Amino acid sequence: MIKRISVLILIIFMVSMSVYGAAGTVKIGFMGALTGDVAMFGIPTLEGMKMAVEDVNKAGGVNGQKMVIVEADNRGDKPEAANIAQKFISRDRVAAIVGDPTTGITKVVAPICERNKVVLLSAGAVGTGVVELGQYIFRNTLLDSVAIPPLVDYFVNDVGYKKFAVVTSDNNDFSVSLTQIFKNALKGKKAQIVADEKIKDGDKDFSAQITNIKAKKPDIIFFSGYYTEGALLMKEARKQGLNVNMFGGDGLYSPTLISLGGKAVEGSMVYVGFFPENPSPETAKFIQAFKAKHNGKLPGLFETQGYDAIMMLAEAMKRAKSNDPKKFRDELAKIKDFKGVSGTITIQPNREPIKSPVYLLEIKDGAYKLKTKVDVKMKK
Amino acid sequence: MFWQQLINGIALGSTYALIALGYTMVYGIIQLINFAHGEIYMVGAFAALVLVTVFKMSIFLAMVLAMVVCLLLGVIIEFVAYRPLRRSSRLSALISAIGVSTFLSTLVLLIFGADAKGFPDDVFPVVQMRIGAAEVSSLQLLIIGVSALLMLGLEFIVHHTKIGKAMRATSQDYTTAALMGVNVNLVISFTFALGSALAAAGGVLVGIYFNAVSFNMGLMAGLKAFAAAVLGGIGSIPGAMLGGVVLGVVEVLGVAAGYSSYKDAIAFAILVAVLMIKPTGLLGQKIQKKV
Amino acid sequence: MIGEYLENLVNLVDAYYLQIFVNIGIAIIMALGLNLVTGVTGQLSLGHAAFMSIGAFTGAILTIKLGMPFSLNLICSGLMAALCGVVIGFPILRLSGDYLAIATLGFAEILKVILLNLDITNRALGLSVPLPHTPIPLPIYVWLTVLLVLAAMVLIQNSRFGRALRAIREDEIAAETMGVNTTLYKIQAFAIGAFTAGLGGCLYAHFIAYINPSDFGFSKSVDILNMVVLGGLGSIPGSVLGATLLTTAPEFLRFMERYRMMVYGALLVFLMIFRPNGLLGGVSIRKLVCKALGIKPGPRKPWHRISTRKAGG
Repeated sequence: MIKRISVLILIIFMVSMSVYGAAGTVKIGFMGALTGDVAMFGIPTLEGMKMAVEDVNKAGGVNGQKMVIVEADNRGDKPEAANIAQKFISRDRVAAIVGDPTTGITKVVAPICERNKVVLLSAGAVGTGVVELGQYIFRNTLLDSVAIPPLVDYFVNDVGYKKFAVVTSDNNDFSVSLTQIFKNALKGKKAQIVADEKIKDGDKDFSAQITNIKAKKPDIIFFSGYYTEGALLMKEARKQGLNVNMFGGDGLYSPTLISLGGKAVEGSMVYVGFFPENPSPETAKFIQAFKAKHNGKLPGLFETQGYDAIMMLAEAMKRAKSNDPKKFRDELAKIKDFKGVSGTITIQPNREPIKSPVYLLEIKDGAYKLKTKVDVKMKK
Repeated sequence: MFWQQLINGIALGSTYALIALGYTMVYGIIQLINFAHGEIYMVGAFAALVLVTVFKMSIFLAMVLAMVVCLLLGVIIEFVAYRPLRRSSRLSALISAIGVSTFLSTLVLLIFGADAKGFPDDVFPVVQMRIGAAEVSSLQLLIIGVSALLMLGLEFIVHHTKIGKAMRATSQDYTTAALMGVNVNLVISFTFALGSALAAAGGVLVGIYFNAVSFNMGLMAGLKAFAAAVLGGIGSIPGAMLGGVVLGVVEVLGVAAGYSSYKDAIAFAILVAVLMIKPTGLLGQKIQKKV
Repeated sequence: MIGEYLENLVNLVDAYYLQIFVNIGIAIIMALGLNLVTGVTGQLSLGHAAFMSIGAFTGAILTIKLGMPFSLNLICSGLMAALCGVVIGFPILRLSGDYLAIATLGFAEILKVILLNLDITNRALGLSVPLPHTPIPLPIYVWLTVLLVLAAMVLIQNSRFGRALRAIREDEIAAETMGVNTTLYKIQAFAIGAFTAGLGGCLYAHFIAYINPSDFGFSKSVDILNMVVLGGLGSIPGSVLGATLLTTAPEFLRFMERYRMMVYGALLVFLMIFRPNGLLGGVSIRKLVCKALGIKPGPRKPWHRISTRKAGG
């Protein structure tokens, strides 16, 4: 009996402690998958967010409150993501939700956040029609519609590529929309698409597609999907003796592309809004801290975007002098030339982010090296 | 280019066949769609990966040890998740298999993380050879050869050994076999052990061939293998091989013809079409319904 | 007027619970449909989510392009799915057992690939679905549909038609010799199952507000099958319980963080071992209720008996 009572007292004590602790904190919900097929985007995003929260709290928190992340795993499942969003808002009373790294789930969560006037800052969604879902919906990603046109100019005019092979992962929304943007950008240029192949995320065998591409003798392969498939695609290309390089979006940017692709991805190019050897002191500091924490492993894109999402929120809260989303939302919308670790970010009036400049990286000797830097024009 | 694509297709089909062989054998004996088979294949690949990268073993030794690991795993799974359900509805065992599959893939995700891992480049010497207009790699030949050998070996075990006879008896009539003195528990454990070891061999070979091992590789591979087994006539060992190769060739030729976006649809369309004409698959035995 | 009143009523419920209640409701609709096909008729389907996708996309497109009133939209989505059910069911229901299972799986995969390649579904980019045109709040719509489907399923199972379906499950050849047109009945069951899946899909699309062909893949079909088998094949209360349990389980298990899905998998295995026929398989709710109330279960209502005799003939 005594045992039971003491357990009860302990529980009451712990509950009251946590309530007490909650009074001095501002909560940020993490929306993403920690298990399931898209866990490879959720896990690093959360990792980056945690590092940012540590930094924010070390510097004294925001407006006198400590920042806390509320975690929940949505498995990449949409109904579950909606449940979690509601839980974050009505149970945990979060000030903002960061995530989801995928466009699809962001679109499920966005209407819920908008209804409840809670800021949603997606660290990863790049598809079309995201910020249009409401006044409280933001993202901090490099938009392909911004980055692609100057890059296509570079490849066609400066490098002189004429024949492009396009590979799309057609069950991946990011890839499908990037391919559309690329094809539009190529229209009217002195270049043509000689092969237009489709794969699926999760596929392992690309032999048939590569045989098709090889027969068309392209100058370069444009692949709009993610790094796992990108690495396997290039492996297959080298296996079949196809010696052209690949280039693609920041979905390809990950140390895994190199560890999985090995020699096959030497010479492949990706464009990103940041660069590990970027002279910007913020990025350098972040990379150093990350390496120290993860046995020398380099951060990928999702870590940096997760980190920046938290930092942008903290910045907006500080400027608004309030942790109320209805107030700091306006400051978030005004963020300009924010020196993030994933690039310099400006939120435009339509809430779409701009990251400039865009870095084109090339893989050399098993590492990403700067190939060129292109400036992005601001849209009016 | 046609010949090149044909070879691509046969190699891909052989990877399906490698998994389908174990699938179909387990099905043949206890009529269980073992959805966990794909996960055993995945665990086999990871086991070999650890042995090669951490313990610096040669790939052949690693493969043998991975087969042993999965053999044990298969027997344990059968004992824990299927044996208590042997006399219940087959769907109960199916759900149990799905539970095992969720459990295993999440476990591997927690241990190894979500990103795909690759074998070291020099793990198996790859040599390109020319046959006529097409190129074949030594790895492709290995995969085709191993799957054909395994098929013959399995056929031999099932049809020409004593345990094979016991397996067939168990498959025909579980109760009668037990009454005739067959140790059915042992036979079923043996079937799972054999099937799981095969899955591990498949996992290692496919892992090297595509050079990517990930926690979620089991599901799609399992589905394709299931499709291959049914296409060939589920329960038939040569059928699994034939089904796998047909599926692989059809998929690849579909892509070669310019329909890469419909790759999976083509494979399943062929499957459904064959079942319409021959409801028990290419080499399946006609089901005699008792009246 | 009434709409506003109902809206206020819905807003009284805690938003998080409301969200889960609606998900449970949609899951129940899906499970009841599959229960008729797999539980009652004994035809294993691994492609139930495909019919859900038909309903979801039909509903979404009708709302986006035509702004159709929601109740009409709902029926159209159900009918579209039922039509697909007949078209697909007609050739493949000749198959039996696992061959049927793989054929349904195959059709579901084919459908998914087709939807991924259509412009009207916006390919992999999917569709954002605006709020439906209805004065009644969506959560109430969902639960009204649940009640209707529930009532329909009870009526079907207790009818001559329902007994014919059970006869097919128990022994197809015997059923056929007794004069049951098995092919016709199977297709009808399949079409009704598809119809309810279409309703579920349409409600899902409008509630979740964004759909994508990849959402309705094999794992979704398996989720629904889990509900039906776990609840107890052929048992309507079982399907309801299974759907409720498996929809809420991930929420209950949330405190386990990353180990959650491992526990979920193990739980499936142990529940099946513990109750091999499902939680409510072979359990008569009527008798349980009578026992709890301390009364003797009386004979069933006469119309049950009369129709039992008819079905035997």
